[in-house]
Amino acid sequence: MKTNFFTRLLLWTGLGLLLVWSLGPIYWTLASSVTPTEDFSTRPIHFYPQHFTFDHYARVLGISISRIGGVEVWKQFRAALFNSVVTSVAATVLCVAISALGAYAFTRLRFPGRQMLFGLVVATLAIPAYAVLIPLYQIMIKMHLVDTYVGVALIYVSAYLPLSLWLLRSVFEALPVSLEEAAQLDGAGRLFIFFNIVLPLAGPGLAAAGILTFLGAWGQYLVPLIFSPQVTKPLTVLIPEFVTKNFIDYGLITASGSIAIIIPALVVIFLNRYLVSGLLAGSVK
Amino acid sequence: MTAVANGRQSSARGVGFGADTILGILLVSPILLTMTALVFYPMGRTIWDSLHRVNPMQAGTPFVGLDNYVRMFSDGQLGATWTNTLIYVVLAVAAETIFGVLAAALINQVKIGRRWILAAVILPWALPGVVNSVIWLWIYQPGAGLLNGILSAIGLPFENHVWFNDRASAIVAVTVVHVWRMMPLTIVIVLAAMQSIPSHLYEAARIDGATRGQMFGLITLPLVRSAIAVSMTNATVNAFNLFDEAWVLAGSSLETRPILVQIYLETFQNLRFSYGMALSVSITFVSLLVSLVYVLRVYRNTRFD
Amino acid sequence: MRKSIVSLLASAALAIATTAVAQDARPFAGTSITVLMPSPQGPDIASAFEAETGIHVDLQTLSWDDIRPKLVTALVAGTAPADVTEFDWSWTGQFNAADWFVPLNDLIDAETVEDIGVAKIFTVDGKLLGIPYTNDFRVMLINKKHFSDAGIAEVPKTLDELVAAAKQLKEKGVSQYPIGLPLSATEGASTSWYLLTKAFGGELFDKDFNPLFVQPDSAGYKALAFELMLLKEGLVDPASTGLKDTQINEGMFSQGLTSIMISGEPGRLGQMNDPKQSKVAGQAEAILVATESGTTRSFGLPEALAIPKVSANQEAALVFVKWFTSREHQKKNLANGFLPTRTSALSELNAEGKLNSGDALVAQSKTVEALFPQGTPPWYPQFSSGVNTAINSAAKGQITIDQAVQKIAEAAKEAMAQ
Repeated sequence: MKTNFFTRLLLWTGLGLLLVWSLGPIYWTLASSVTPTEDFSTRPIHFYPQHFTFDHYARVLGISISRIGGVEVWKQFRAALFNSVVTSVAATVLCVAISALGAYAFTRLRFPGRQMLFGLVVATLAIPAYAVLIPLYQIMIKMHLVDTYVGVALIYVSAYLPLSLWLLRSVFEALPVSLEEAAQLDGAGRLFIFFNIVLPLAGPGLAAAGILTFLGAWGQYLVPLIFSPQVTKPLTVLIPEFVTKNFIDYGLITASGSIAIIIPALVVIFLNRYLVSGLLAGSVK
Repeated sequence: MTAVANGRQSSARGVGFGADTILGILLVSPILLTMTALVFYPMGRTIWDSLHRVNPMQAGTPFVGLDNYVRMFSDGQLGATWTNTLIYVVLAVAAETIFGVLAAALINQVKIGRRWILAAVILPWALPGVVNSVIWLWIYQPGAGLLNGILSAIGLPFENHVWFNDRASAIVAVTVVHVWRMMPLTIVIVLAAMQSIPSHLYEAARIDGATRGQMFGLITLPLVRSAIAVSMTNATVNAFNLFDEAWVLAGSSLETRPILVQIYLETFQNLRFSYGMALSVSITFVSLLVSLVYVLRVYRNTRFD
Repeated sequence: MRKSIVSLLASAALAIATTAVAQDARPFAGTSITVLMPSPQGPDIASAFEAETGIHVDLQTLSWDDIRPKLVTALVAGTAPADVTEFDWSWTGQFNAADWFVPLNDLIDAETVEDIGVAKIFTVDGKLLGIPYTNDFRVMLINKKHFSDAGIAEVPKTLDELVAAAKQLKEKGVSQYPIGLPLSATEGASTSWYLLTKAFGGELFDKDFNPLFVQPDSAGYKALAFELMLLKEGLVDPASTGLKDTQINEGMFSQGLTSIMISGEPGRLGQMNDPKQSKVAGQAEAILVATESGTTRSFGLPEALAIPKVSANQEAALVFVKWFTSREHQKKNLANGFLPTRTSALSELNAEGKLNSGDALVAQSKTVEALFPQGTPPWYPQFSSGVNTAINSAAKGQITIDQAVQKIAEAAKEAMAQ
């Protein structure tokens, strides 16, 4: 590797800038979450908390069972966190599975209408949620799926399927077909080839599709607002309730936000392994 | 199970035409089912309703043909919101693509601690929308905001600067928040594609004496083209759907109001449902058309053998 | 022995009687209803109501901004969002035109309607669509320590006195920008202008909804000119063009940076006087809205409970509405930050000394008018967002006052056209 000092310097400066850009506002969130309520919006502004408190976290986590407006924060927060995890995980697993099967069919199998179906599915990327909200609500009511995990997860799947499908198709297309042809000559069936040869090679694509779907579902707001009003209410719908008509509870919002980013970060750290395994794809040849 | 057996036998014999068709349809049937029930059918309903007058404050839903679409041309505020949206799209797609590809390339170079860097880069996207809004509202706030605080700390006269008083800075401020939140998408998609590039290609180039810059331009970029097209399309669609950032930071101010805020106002504030649906249908088609440009020009099937 | 048997029998009879009465009073025991209200609500609403009536309540809360899209989506789809829902004063015209809610005229006794004066704001075309449960109107909020620091003894009653007080506060260096006034394109900017229009002795529209604010001698015109004058004189923070009402209340008034909230909300007094949430605890006080003539005026923005026509449990829902707006519950609900809508409850609480700036609030509550005396029109929400967009542009110096009032008139016309 001929990395000279200059390229190294460039690399590290670039990374430094990238981290400051990404983490700056996150730092501000964390700093605010340990600032006592009476210190918010003091002037001049301080770049780090002048007084330190875990008060907001104590309220979110129920360590001191104090209430905002009488609502037990911890009970609601725990339920919402659970709901967010359940719906996002279910949507991710379902979405990646369905789109991997589909992407394989779209790249390796010939059947009538495949181009058109693929085009149609990907085109739905462009549909804003508002466009289908009301007919979708009528359908979900008829199927008794409002405020159920299945209902919300299915909507997320339909929302993130196009991107995941497209991504996986482009990954499968890039894979060398010679391996599959060899296996086919050896008498292996399509599905055997799919599960044992194609999927392991497509690790980075699957990981990327998983990350996209998980984070997309995790951040959804409009859909759960309408379809998860109570029992399956996720964090994204609960946290805005800390903004009441007369008072914005900055402490609760930033503390719950800081906790809410931990899980997606863990998911990314875990899936990173598979994002790297692509290097394998090259070495197999 | 029969499908599995079928597929195996027929492809083994090399006459898998009918079997391919059956297996193909079987494999895409979950997609077909989900999308038909939850997207195609509702979208069809929406298009159908946009040809009617649906307004709960007026009795009946008579068929009005293209009236809702014609109405757009005489809607005074609509032009401004379209302009704003197009500006957002151009700025956001350019920024997300250029910086996103650069960031992916940077992360791709890192060997140690990459997962930590990746996790850090993805955090903006994981922050719940309302927390994001509250934080940025605070950053831009004139008196006690972080941005003015930093600028005045390095000696610039920005103590009480109002970023939303001037259209250009207001639009840029909204775009910055959107790019901050959406760039991780581009990074993940492009990084995954970069990771899929077989290392022997680089080894060969290295033997030929190629520099890092040349490798990036001659190997990496061409091979991640389709991933860039995917991410650009995605960025375009997201920018057309920009809503939260503008709504939270500047309310319904016309200078920053994007088309989606207009749809929200027409639908939920003014209760003109069919007009809102006609607007949604239009924005869907416009963003499809724009995306088609990338797909046709940038997307290219790439295979390494 | 005999005596005790008699008394035993008597008490048994009494027991039977009370159960019978209780059963009569609890005809819906065992039913279950859903209630949709903005958060936060008191913690024991559901349990207290169930204990009293036997009706089980599923209380769903959402943030205030999210309630309306949720309601509208469900109602337009022909389903009930809940059996009892939130109903803001500003929705009255639209929801009446859409015929979504049950008229409550014959279901609520006249005495209640009499006691809840602001109920008239929820009456259109003779139909009472919601029973107000929380009172909101406009007062002026001042920092009384700032006033005494600047040597101002009398609270301003007229707008001239208000400006003089603000100038004195600024000159004495007590506050750099003495008046808090939202000028961003948000609802707070609209309501402030409505209040000032009333303060200049006028109305927004005549009875046929022709705009009354276009002529330079009209109250609405003068109100906008007044706002821009305050901004130009440096009495209002120039940053206000980017600030919502909440940001000014919490970020400026509660920080002691500003001294007068022109369009003040009584509901904020609790927070402002709480040392854990405010730097001006004990200094915030409500005063009557100052006007051009000196005779105070105000308008109401109450919130009500209503029952959707598609609700399957309308009778049990009505029991909840009555219970929630009863005098006893309203008095208890003050602890959760809800000002009673019943004049009787308000006066009793004030007499018991439980109201912050109680005398001013009770006096102001008696002057509360409807913003639209003929009933809130269906086009109000669209009109109001036109208003704040125009005010915001004028405050940023992009358009003149004349252009701004013209734009507002156009917005009204466009909104009425449907």
